[in-house]
Amino acid sequence: MTATATGPSGGPTIPRADAVFTGGPAMPRQGAVEVEHLTHVYPSGKVLALEDVSVSIGHGEIVGVVGQNGSGKTTFSKHLNGLLKPTSGRVVVNGIDTAGKRVQELAAHVGYVFQNPNHQLFATTVQADLAFGPQNLGLPEDEVQARVERAIEFFGLQHVRELHPYRISFPMRKLVGIAGIYTMQPAIFVLDEPTTGQDHVTTQVINTLIRRLRDEGATVVCVSHDMPLLADVVDRLLVMWNAHLIADASPREVFSNTEVMARTKLEPPQVTSISMQLGRRPALSVDDLATDLESNLTSVGVA
Amino acid sequence: MQGVAVPVSLVAGNSIIHRLNPIAKLAWVVVVLVIAFMTRNPLFLLALAVVGLVLVTAAGIWRSFSRVMLILLPIGTSLIVFQAVAPAFPRPWTPITTFGPFTIYQEGIYSGLSLLSRAVSMTVFALVMIMTTHPSDLFTSLKRLRVPYVLNFMLAMTLQLIPVLQREIGVVMSAQKSRGMKSTGFGAVLPSFVPVFAGAIERVQQLSISLESRAFGSSGIKTSYRQVSVRPFDWLIGAMAVAFLIACIAIFLTNNFLDMSRTLVIPAELSLILVGLSALGFVGFVGSAIWLIVRA
Amino acid sequence: MPGTPIIEFDDVSFTYAETETPAIDHVSLTIYEGEYVALMGRNGAGKTTLELCINGIVPNMVIGDMEGAITVEGVSPIDTPVREMAKTVGMVFDNPEFQMSQMTAAEEIALGLENLGVPYEEMKPRITDALALVGLTGFEDRMPLALSGGQQQRLAIASTLAMQPRILVMDEPTSNLDPLGKQEVFEIAARLNREAGMTVVLAEHEVEVLAEFAHRVIVLDGGRIVANGTPEEVFDDVERLGAIGLRPPAATALADRLRASRAGWSGTLPVTTAGAVAALQPRLAAGVR
Repeated sequence: MTATATGPSGGPTIPRADAVFTGGPAMPRQGAVEVEHLTHVYPSGKVLALEDVSVSIGHGEIVGVVGQNGSGKTTFSKHLNGLLKPTSGRVVVNGIDTAGKRVQELAAHVGYVFQNPNHQLFATTVQADLAFGPQNLGLPEDEVQARVERAIEFFGLQHVRELHPYRISFPMRKLVGIAGIYTMQPAIFVLDEPTTGQDHVTTQVINTLIRRLRDEGATVVCVSHDMPLLADVVDRLLVMWNAHLIADASPREVFSNTEVMARTKLEPPQVTSISMQLGRRPALSVDDLATDLESNLTSVGVA
Repeated sequence: MQGVAVPVSLVAGNSIIHRLNPIAKLAWVVVVLVIAFMTRNPLFLLALAVVGLVLVTAAGIWRSFSRVMLILLPIGTSLIVFQAVAPAFPRPWTPITTFGPFTIYQEGIYSGLSLLSRAVSMTVFALVMIMTTHPSDLFTSLKRLRVPYVLNFMLAMTLQLIPVLQREIGVVMSAQKSRGMKSTGFGAVLPSFVPVFAGAIERVQQLSISLESRAFGSSGIKTSYRQVSVRPFDWLIGAMAVAFLIACIAIFLTNNFLDMSRTLVIPAELSLILVGLSALGFVGFVGSAIWLIVRA
Repeated sequence: MPGTPIIEFDDVSFTYAETETPAIDHVSLTIYEGEYVALMGRNGAGKTTLELCINGIVPNMVIGDMEGAITVEGVSPIDTPVREMAKTVGMVFDNPEFQMSQMTAAEEIALGLENLGVPYEEMKPRITDALALVGLTGFEDRMPLALSGGQQQRLAIASTLAMQPRILVMDEPTSNLDPLGKQEVFEIAARLNREAGMTVVLAEHEVEVLAEFAHRVIVLDGGRIVANGTPEEVFDDVERLGAIGLRPPAATALADRLRASRAGWSGTLPVTTAGAVAALQPRLAAGVR
């Protein structure tokens, strides 16, 4: 469903307020996550948090979810592992309908990494904490240990494995938080603001991590404000605004859609703005734009 | 982080009770507390509770008040059940009738009624005060009474920290569930204390630095933003509280603390109804407590 | 923009108790009145410690070894009680919620005023003005803990502004905020600097924003100052920044990439979107095939 249809004169008509911008033609997908007409009303304050959201995410996709606070993006992400249940509509993850399933049961399929790692760390050493998840899944001890070793290897935690989680730096704790979910080997990872408040180096580490998870066959849903990160790493952006999903398209298509960007008051990454102001296709990283420009600029000789 | 709603419990209004100075109200609550513990006479205590209900009407807080009482009454009435069959009273006991395998005693009913009416009368007055006083006004008044600034501050913070800690515990429990943790209810809450505690410590550390940066703990003269007035009327109410206390003490001392445990005759039918109702209340309370714990 | 120095660090080092390496190491710098100075550095590079020295929290509230001399508005924060420094230096921290303690927004702002002994009659207007400065007019009776993160942070700023400091020091104030909240805080800082001449010292990771508003950027690495100049000067050495784990604005990184390629680059590297577009537009028009 596209938001701009051609009017009688052949030019684009103004998009309907409730239309979802989906950019180009939809690719066939086998569902890792199928969300159908999801509506959620918070019982306490009668707040409408989500209205009629429908999304289909295929296995191995990396999807970003963006929106201002209060747009519904966090509410949406919490439906993916059953922390919240739909008021109406359906959420199916890895082929399982979340309705009537407890969070603990869905944990083997969907791993939710909380924004503040302190909320998630329980054990007295890093390696004991990594074992927590698979132990809860009832796996035999040797399998648990094998997974812990793999995680330590994957995340580079060798030098902190014996340390207490609260004694390591905050960025390392964030990695341990993700590693603790990794050991559960879910098909789908939901990352809640993985780079918020982090410096450049840690952001790069998370960037690489997301790609490696995908390389291993995982599906990654990343809720974030970090537009440069998402532009560089995701296949698709889901844009939330005022409880609605107003765009579901590739980053380039979303950034070019001035109406969607204006409505959500989100800023594209700087490099994207530069590329668009130069009349080029929206760039998703410095490399992207540099490559695009290199052969198209008058040269000024080697500086 | 989302914001939390601090249950201020102040019910908006501009009644004569709302406008009373917080210390005058506090004086009455303290007096009622003292008096309630000086006698066991259920008729007297019930009368006191009725006076309290008049104040509830004057303050216009019936809706919120009844919501709280609805929760507290089942717990309170269960007192009657226990006391009826096993009175906290020196023997001999006078049996009235039987309730299944249990014998209901005269002293038991008396005791149960006095405990209940004592609890009710104290609660009514306390609620009237809490629901008509903004905590900041109370703290400002306490400041005037030379209660140390820091103590005030600690009280104010505690009030606000409760919903914050609730939220934090909720988040931690969600995180535990998200990692497959099986135990529910109380078993799940306990391990969450470490992260919540650590978070609370971090919060307090950062808050203290923030406060110091705003000259907290200055030894100089401190002014006050919140102004609470003290009118002659407030002094009168306060004085009345003291007078009431003295009068009651006088009456108690000369009338054996109004002890009617042997003289008040409770008919059998009434006692059965009372025990039956409170048994229901007790069962309801226990049932909902179990349900809440299991659901968590 | 030279003028009157308002903050001076002379060979300052501080080592937290029970640690080996100094958190800040032989730091010397001068900040002038009305400057907007950005502090950059990886987590742990010493930004927070440096800022806490300005109002004396380090070393007065923190245990450790202090060396060197600091002057802030003619006074040494090392030897002055923090509550005195609070009259000239306002501090805002990274967690908005952790700075809230009162039951209403007005009381939150009044807290500092009460501590300073400001007369009651003066409080009300100061509170109203402070709320207006941060765009929270009418929020007097709202409960701080029920506000959004962005609103709480603006309230924290208002609480320091009401005390009428000459210097506003902020430690990663937007790291816990959404994009809108970030925008609001940066906008307030820029406006205060521009219109009220407030000296602003801001530690942040949002490089693109710093490049736009800061007069000067100071880069810290391992407790030492490794760069101190205008945004154009500091961000030009892209490789150096990368070596210490930092990145320049995307505009600068782009120009640096082009500089190394056959397209080349002449002149200083841009640090803002406008700068990059202005430099590239004419070259593009001519060179497009």
